[in-house]
Amino acid sequence: MIIQNMFNKKQSELSGLVITYAFLGFGLIFMVFPYVWMLLASFKIPAEIYNRFLPTQFTLEHYRMLFSLGATGSTNPFVRSIFNSLVVSSIATISVVFFGAITGYALARIVFPGRTLLNNFILFQMLFPTVLFLIPRFLLMLELGWINTFQGMFSPFMISAWAIFLFTQFFKTVPQELIDAARLDGCSELKIVFKIMLPLSKSVTIIVAIFTFMGMWDEFLWYLIVTKDYNLMPLSVLLGLFTRGEYSSYPGIQTAGATLLTLPILVLFFVFRKFFTEGISMTGLKG
Amino acid sequence: MKKSKTFKIQERRIYRYVGCGLVAPYIIYTIIFWVYPFIWGLIISFKKWNIISPEKEFIGISNFLKVIHDPLFWISFKNTLFFMIVYVPMVIICSLVVALLLRRIKFLQAFFASGYLMSYVSAGVAYSIVFNLLFSGDGLINVWLSNLGITIPWFSSPKIAMASIAIIVVWKYLGYYSLIFLAGLQSIPTSLYESAEIDGVSNWTQFWRITVPLLNPAFMIILIFAVMLSFNIFTEPYMITGGGPLDSTQTFVMQIYHQTFTALHAGYGSSFAIVVAIISFSFVFVIRKMVERDISY
Repeated sequence: MIIQNMFNKKQSELSGLVITYAFLGFGLIFMVFPYVWMLLASFKIPAEIYNRFLPTQFTLEHYRMLFSLGATGSTNPFVRSIFNSLVVSSIATISVVFFGAITGYALARIVFPGRTLLNNFILFQMLFPTVLFLIPRFLLMLELGWINTFQGMFSPFMISAWAIFLFTQFFKTVPQELIDAARLDGCSELKIVFKIMLPLSKSVTIIVAIFTFMGMWDEFLWYLIVTKDYNLMPLSVLLGLFTRGEYSSYPGIQTAGATLLTLPILVLFFVFRKFFTEGISMTGLKG
Repeated sequence: MKKSKTFKIQERRIYRYVGCGLVAPYIIYTIIFWVYPFIWGLIISFKKWNIISPEKEFIGISNFLKVIHDPLFWISFKNTLFFMIVYVPMVIICSLVVALLLRRIKFLQAFFASGYLMSYVSAGVAYSIVFNLLFSGDGLINVWLSNLGITIPWFSSPKIAMASIAIIVVWKYLGYYSLIFLAGLQSIPTSLYESAEIDGVSNWTQFWRITVPLLNPAFMIILIFAVMLSFNIFTEPYMITGGGPLDSTQTFVMQIYHQTFTALHAGYGSSFAIVVAIISFSFVFVIRKMVERDISY
């Protein structure tokens, strides 16, 4: 009798598990479907984009068009825009990590006047929505003459309160002995940050770097405001403007552009997927 | 002994300077790119100014009064509320279900977790393009639906355009929120479920009496993220509907963008932004008061 019960329980557990996997798999199809469709559509002939999921013939025409069609005054804005996106995103990422680390180190490990105040101010800063800064920052760029420049695009994103907060939290957990030993050896404080603290907090560093890079690569509104020149636009804005303009009736070129915009971040995601999930769980636990 | 003490004091004094030196870039940067724009934004919200002319006339609170009497402000408000009513429950239910399912499995858990997270890394412009085509009048979704004898005017009907935008935003953030829920679920001690099991408590009761209350921090953070997001939508309506049809997808940020960078009313745009920030703060405040509970186990 008892054995019979246990057997039943085992069996219902097993079927429960099968149902769980079935649901998860079914949901996953919905989540991945837009990506697959986008990729396929970018290689389809125009007649098949709307009404067929699987293509009957492949074409590279849309990518060719995207890279050859010239906008006013330039021959190839899309190739340049990829370069622009890379430059702007990389500069911001390096800067956010660098200043995040040194500020976080000081806030976590050095006693100096105003430290608590600064710690609180950083938390306070994170509460403010960016929309509040949109217009005055634009005016600041006008004043500095930074409209239509690289520095205009990345300067508002060079130091992030969120990154400082994460680094501060993690640097608190590094044992003091390591810092003391390095100081006795005559290490400078900067060297301690970059030779000891950062290597010991590899996952936070990677999380800060990939989330910043992704945020910069995807950014749309700010770039839309500060760039007017096709040659300087990052990919997101150029694609956005062309989709609404010249390419509005060319779905193939639109999806080719969308694929280009998605692919680098998707590759980053697959390489660092562990850090993406870890980074998100961290925000969740922070409460 | 005495010597080492003076050394310690001296050393501490040195590190005080080092500490100040290390935070100096942050302080200078924050003054230029945060404090200064913040104050400037406040000042110009009391002025009438069109960016181009040097004339900035002080007009008191009339910009703010104009915001409150602007029909497009109220339309945006209504659209934002509509977005929230669709988005918040939908994303919370879907992501909680995914998190509960993910918690039950061990094999392939990481695979499914990153699979669901994939949508989160799609760029706003890219997924707007994709869904605009997929959901268009003769797009693939409607081609498939027409086999069942229906077609849905996703983005072209003013009644449902904003809901369609909410649905695609759910697609983007579902995986992200499920991971926050999953982290919350994993922090609940299994012993609680075990003792409930022994006492013969049903799964349903366990869910409402243990899981939901102990997930409070996760609910809190997701609600705040979702509400802040609702007040900040721009890329999707800008790319897909341009605010239409019949202003049904106008949002606050679209209005701010339009007022400042198309109509060049910088002062008015700034007051608009401040009003929006105050409303979103009040929402977050009220939600915290209503939902946040101290939990202990």
